[in-house]
Amino acid sequence: MATTVLHPAAPAYRSTLYEWVTTTDHKKIGIMYLLNSFLFFFLGGLLALGVRVELAQPGLQFVTDSTYNELFTMHATFMIFLFIIPILAGFGNYIVPLQIGAPDVAFPRINALSLWMLPLAGVLLILSFFTGGSAAAGWTSYAPLSEDRPLAALGPGQDLWIVAVVFIGTSSILGAVNFLVTIFKLRAPGMTLFRMPIMVWTVLVTSVLVLLATPVITSALIMLFIDRNYGGSFFDPANGGDAILYQNIFWFYSHPAVYIMVLPAMGMISEILPVFSRKPLFGYKAFVFATAGIGALGFSVWAHHMFTTGAVYLPFFSLMTFLIAVPTGVKMFNWIFTLWRGKLRLSTPLLFALGFLSMFLIGGINGAISAAVPVDFALHDTYWVVSHLHYVLFGGSVFGVMAGLYYWFPKMTGRMLNESLGKIQFVLMFIGFNLTFFPMHQLGLSGMPRRIADYASTAGWNELNLAATIGGFLIATSMIPLLWNVFLSLRSGKPAGDDPWEGNTLEWATSSPPPPYNFDHLPEIRSERPVFDARYGPRSHGATATAAPAEH
Amino acid sequence: MASDSRALTTSTEQSPVGGLSHDARGGISNVVLGMLLFLTSEVMFFGGLFAAYFNVRANSPLWPTINPETNQQFHLDILPLVGPATVLLILSSFTCQMAVWGIRRGDRTAFLRNIAVTFAIGVIFLLMQATDYVALGSEGMTLSAGTFGTTYFTLTGFHGAHVFGGAIMLGVVLYRGLAGQFSARHHDAVEAVSLYWHFVDIVWILLFSLLYLLPGKGGP
Amino acid sequence: MASSPRTGRSSAAIGALVVGALLVLGVVVVVVGKVDVGGAGEQIVSSLYPPPAVTDRAVHIRDLYNTVFAIAVVIFFVVEGLIVWTVLRYRRKPGDDELPAQTHGNAVAEVVWTVVPTIIVAFMFVISWQTLNSVEAISAEPQTKVAAVAGQFQWQFAYLDPNVTPAKCEDIKPTYTQFTPTGEGGGLYVPAGRTVQLFLCSPDVIHAFYVPQFLFKRDVVPGRMNTFEFTIDEADAGSTFRGQCAELCGAGHRVMLFDVHAVSGSDFDAWLQKQIAAASASPPPAPSGEPASSGGPQPSGQPPVQGEPPLQISAFNIAFEQTALQAPAEKPFKIDFDNKDSGTPHNVAIHEGSPTGAEVFKGEIFPGPAKKTYDVPALKAGSYAFVCTVHPTMTGTLTVQ
Repeated sequence: MATTVLHPAAPAYRSTLYEWVTTTDHKKIGIMYLLNSFLFFFLGGLLALGVRVELAQPGLQFVTDSTYNELFTMHATFMIFLFIIPILAGFGNYIVPLQIGAPDVAFPRINALSLWMLPLAGVLLILSFFTGGSAAAGWTSYAPLSEDRPLAALGPGQDLWIVAVVFIGTSSILGAVNFLVTIFKLRAPGMTLFRMPIMVWTVLVTSVLVLLATPVITSALIMLFIDRNYGGSFFDPANGGDAILYQNIFWFYSHPAVYIMVLPAMGMISEILPVFSRKPLFGYKAFVFATAGIGALGFSVWAHHMFTTGAVYLPFFSLMTFLIAVPTGVKMFNWIFTLWRGKLRLSTPLLFALGFLSMFLIGGINGAISAAVPVDFALHDTYWVVSHLHYVLFGGSVFGVMAGLYYWFPKMTGRMLNESLGKIQFVLMFIGFNLTFFPMHQLGLSGMPRRIADYASTAGWNELNLAATIGGFLIATSMIPLLWNVFLSLRSGKPAGDDPWEGNTLEWATSSPPPPYNFDHLPEIRSERPVFDARYGPRSHGATATAAPAEH
Repeated sequence: MASDSRALTTSTEQSPVGGLSHDARGGISNVVLGMLLFLTSEVMFFGGLFAAYFNVRANSPLWPTINPETNQQFHLDILPLVGPATVLLILSSFTCQMAVWGIRRGDRTAFLRNIAVTFAIGVIFLLMQATDYVALGSEGMTLSAGTFGTTYFTLTGFHGAHVFGGAIMLGVVLYRGLAGQFSARHHDAVEAVSLYWHFVDIVWILLFSLLYLLPGKGGP
Repeated sequence: MASSPRTGRSSAAIGALVVGALLVLGVVVVVVGKVDVGGAGEQIVSSLYPPPAVTDRAVHIRDLYNTVFAIAVVIFFVVEGLIVWTVLRYRRKPGDDELPAQTHGNAVAEVVWTVVPTIIVAFMFVISWQTLNSVEAISAEPQTKVAAVAGQFQWQFAYLDPNVTPAKCEDIKPTYTQFTPTGEGGGLYVPAGRTVQLFLCSPDVIHAFYVPQFLFKRDVVPGRMNTFEFTIDEADAGSTFRGQCAELCGAGHRVMLFDVHAVSGSDFDAWLQKQIAAASASPPPAPSGEPASSGGPQPSGQPPVQGEPPLQISAFNIAFEQTALQAPAEKPFKIDFDNKDSGTPHNVAIHEGSPTGAEVFKGEIFPGPAKKTYDVPALKAGSYAFVCTVHPTMTGTLTVQ
C-alpha cells in the first residue's frame, strides 16, 4: 500500500472554524468533547462553590431553600452528564482509533452527531434556570417529589432536565455503538484483542455498560415525564403507582453509570503508569478480566443505593457490593506493582496518576464500609456518602482526567504543557480536594444529612463545614495554573515531537498532532507495547536500552 | 509494512473508513454490527418499560383496573383491529426477509416489490393502531386513566413510534433501491433495516401476548 | 517529555517546601491558638466514629462499624504505605537510562491478592449480615407503638393502641397525635427500656426518619408502610435526641426536625394518659354550620359575634388560598377555616407583625378535609401575619383596622 508523505515545504495547515464545526474527524471531535466538558466542569464547579458558600457558616445567608436545591441538583447534573461521562468519551474518541491503528472510528458522522447533541442539551439545562427555576429534586430526581405532587407544579425546569438528560443518553448510546464497532472491526493487523492497550479495553467495557444501562434510565425518565405531563401513574402512589419502582429503574442505570464514569480514567492511568515506570503493566490479562468483572458485577449491585427503603433484599446486594472490591483490589495491586522496581519519572501525569491511586483507595474503602448494611443505615443520605462519591469521582476520575490531559496534550497539540505549572496545580488540587472532602466523613458520621441548605449552629458542624468551603476555593484556585498552562503552552509551549514520553502504544508512532488519516505507516504489532518493541527490539524482556532515549 | 495491508474494497464515501465496512478478512459488516448493538440498547429500553408494567400489575389487586367512567374493568379487544394488525405485522417480517434474500441474489425486482409491501404494511399497522387508540379514548381509556391506561399507552405508543421510525427507514431503503444504489455486493442498509424491522415485530409479539393474551387477575 | 534531572530535583523541592510550610503553619496555629493538641487529637479520632449508641440495636451497629473501620484503617495504611514507599524507593536516579526488569506479572502474587481480599470481604459480609438480622428483628409484642407521619414539612407522631397492629397506613387510628415535633412539650416521647415499634407513613413524598444517635434511618415512602423497632437504654431516660428528615423532600427539607424524648416507663405512661385526657377535654370551637370532625360536644365557647361576617380562610396543597386579609380592630371576630388537605394537619395562628413575631392567637390543629371555626379575641390595630403552626411556609398578611 502506498504511503503518503507530506512535502517538507508544505505549510502548517490551520483548520477554519467551519471545518471544526462540520468535521467528522475523531481527533477534532475528541478535542471538542474535551472543550465542552471542561466548560461544564467550570459551570458545575461554580454551582458547587455556591453550595459551599452557603454552607460555610450556620444560617441561611445567601440563597433560599429552593435555590439551594437547584444548586446541588444542577451541580451534580452538569458534572455527571456533561462533564465526566463525555470527557471520558472524548478521550476515548481521540485515543482509541490511534491506539488500535485505525484511521478513524467506524461511523464518523454519527460521531459528530453524538458530539453536537451535548452542547444542545447543555443549553437546555442552562435555560432551565431562567424558566422559573431549574430542576430541584436532586440529580436522582426521586418520585413523587419530582412529579410535583402534591404541591403545585414547580415549573418546567424538571421537564427540561428530563429532555436534556434523555438527549445526552442518546448521544452516549450512539457513541457506545461507534466505539464497539470500531474496536471490534477496525484494529490494525496484528492487534489481537489481548494486545490492545488497556485504555481500549476500558473503553470497550464502558461502551457495553453504556449500551445496556443507559436505555434503562431513558425509560425511567420517559415514564417520569408521562407522569408529570400526561397524568400518568407509574410512580404516583395515589393512583396505584409505586415510588420505589422509580428508584429501582433509575439505579439500574445509575450504578453501572459510576463505572462508566471511572473505567476509562482507570484505562488512562494504566497507560501512564507503565510509561513513567518504564515497565509493562503488571498483570495485563488479570487486569482485563478484572475490568470485565467490574462491568458485569456492576449490574448486580444497584439496590445498595436503596438499603433504607425497606423494599430491598438486603443480603444479596450487600454481598455483591462487597465482592466488587475484589477485582478493584486486583487492579490496585496491578498498578502498584507496575511501579514496583520501576524507574519512576515524577512528571505531572504520574503525579496525578499517583493521586488517583491514593484517593480512589480511600473512596473504595469508605464505600466498602457502607456495604455493611447496618452501617449504611447510619450513613446513607449523610455527608459520608458525599465524601465517598467525591473521593471516587473527583479523587479518582478527575485526577485521572488531569493525568490524561497532561499526558496526551502534547499528542493533540504538538506542544508540551509546562511541568512546573502542572505540579503547582497538582499540589493545590490535592490539598484542596482533601481539605474539602475528608471532613465530610466526620460530618456524615455525626449525623449531618445531605441536601440541606443550612444546619443548626449547635450541631457541632460549623468548623468542618468552614474547612470544606476553604478547600473548595482552593480547588477553584488550582484551576488557575491549569488554564494559564494551557493558554501559555498553546502559544509557546515546547514542541513535543512524535513521542515525548517514550510511550508504548501506537499513538506515539505518528506525528503530534497526527495527520487526518492518523498514520503514514504502522510498526509491527506483536504485543500490547508495539512502539516500545519498535524502540527496544523484539526481545525487550530485561533488555538494556540499545540507544539512549532522546532527552527533551 | 506494505505486506500488512488491508485489502480495501472500493470506497464510495470520502471518509477514510468508508470502505472499511467490509474487511477482506471477512466477518460481519460494520453497519450490520452497529445495528445489532443498537438493537441491544433498544431491548434494554423496552426492558425498562416492561419491568414497570410487571411491577405495576403485580402491585394491583385487580387487573385490568376499574374504568371510573363505566365502573367496570377496562377491557382490550383483539378484534376488529389489533388482531389483524398483528397478523399483518408478522406477515411484513416475512416480506422484509424475502426482500433481503432477493437483493442478496441480485434480484432487484423481488427486492423492490417486497420492500414496498413491507413499507405499506407498516403504514397500515400504524393507521390501524391509531384508529384503535381513538376508539379506546372514546371509552374513557387514556394515558391518565390510572395505571392500566398509562402502561398500555406508554408501551404500545413507544412501540408505535419505533414502527414509525422503521417505516421511514423502509421508505429510504425503497427510495435508494429504486435509484439503483443496492446490489448483491453492496446492500448493508437493507440488511440493517431488516434486522430493525424484525426486532420491532418481535417486540410487538411480546407486547401483544402480555397485554392482550395474558389473563387478568383478581376479577370475577 | 522525559523528566529532566532539573525537573526531578525541582519537584522534590516543591514537595519539601509544601510539607515544610504546612508543618510550620501547624505549629504556629497550635502555639498561637493555644490549641489543646491532646484533646484535639482525641476529638479528631472520636470524630471518625458515629455518636454513642443509645438503643440496643445501635450498639450492634456501632460494634460492626468498629470492626469494619478497623479493617479499613489497616488496609489503608498497608496499601497507601506501599504506594508511598514504592514512589520514594523507585524514583529514577538522574542519568539512569537503563530499563528496569520488564516483569509482566507474577501468578502467585496475583492469586494471593485475589484470594485474600475475597476472604476479607466474605468475613465482612458475614458479620454485617449477622448484625443486620439483630437490627431488623421484629419482636412479637412491642410494648409501645407509634406512627411517625412525615408530611411536607413537618413530623407528627400518632400513638397507637399497643394491641393493634395496623396493616397499612390508612388503618391507623391513633389514641393521641402529637402535632408539634420539637420545642416545649413537643417531640416524640418514648419509654426507655421498653420495645418501641415505629410505623412510618407519608401522605406526599419520600422522607426519611433519622436519629443519628440511633445510628439508624428508615425511609418513609408514600404508598408503603415501613416499620422498625428499637429499645432505648434505660440509663438514657431523661435525655433528648435530635432527629431530622434525611431524604430530600422539597424546599422545607431542612426544617423537618424532631426531638426524641426518652423518659422512664412510668413517666411515659403518665404523660400519654395526660395527653389523651387533655385532647378529649379541650373545648371545641363554637358551632358554625359544619360540625367539627372530631365529633365532640358542641357547647358555645364565646358569644357569637354580631354583624361581622367570619373571615374565610382555606388551606389547600400546603398553602393558604388567601394571601391578604382584613379584620376589625378592638373587636373579637371569627375565622371559618376550611382545611382541604386530606390527612394533613393545619391550623391558623396569628402573629404580630411577621410570621416570626409574637403569637397572639393559635387555633386548634386538625387534619383535613374538615372545617372549624375559630373565635379570635380582640386585636389592636396594626399589621399581623397568619401562619400555619404545622407548616411554617404557609403564611399570609392580616391587616387589623
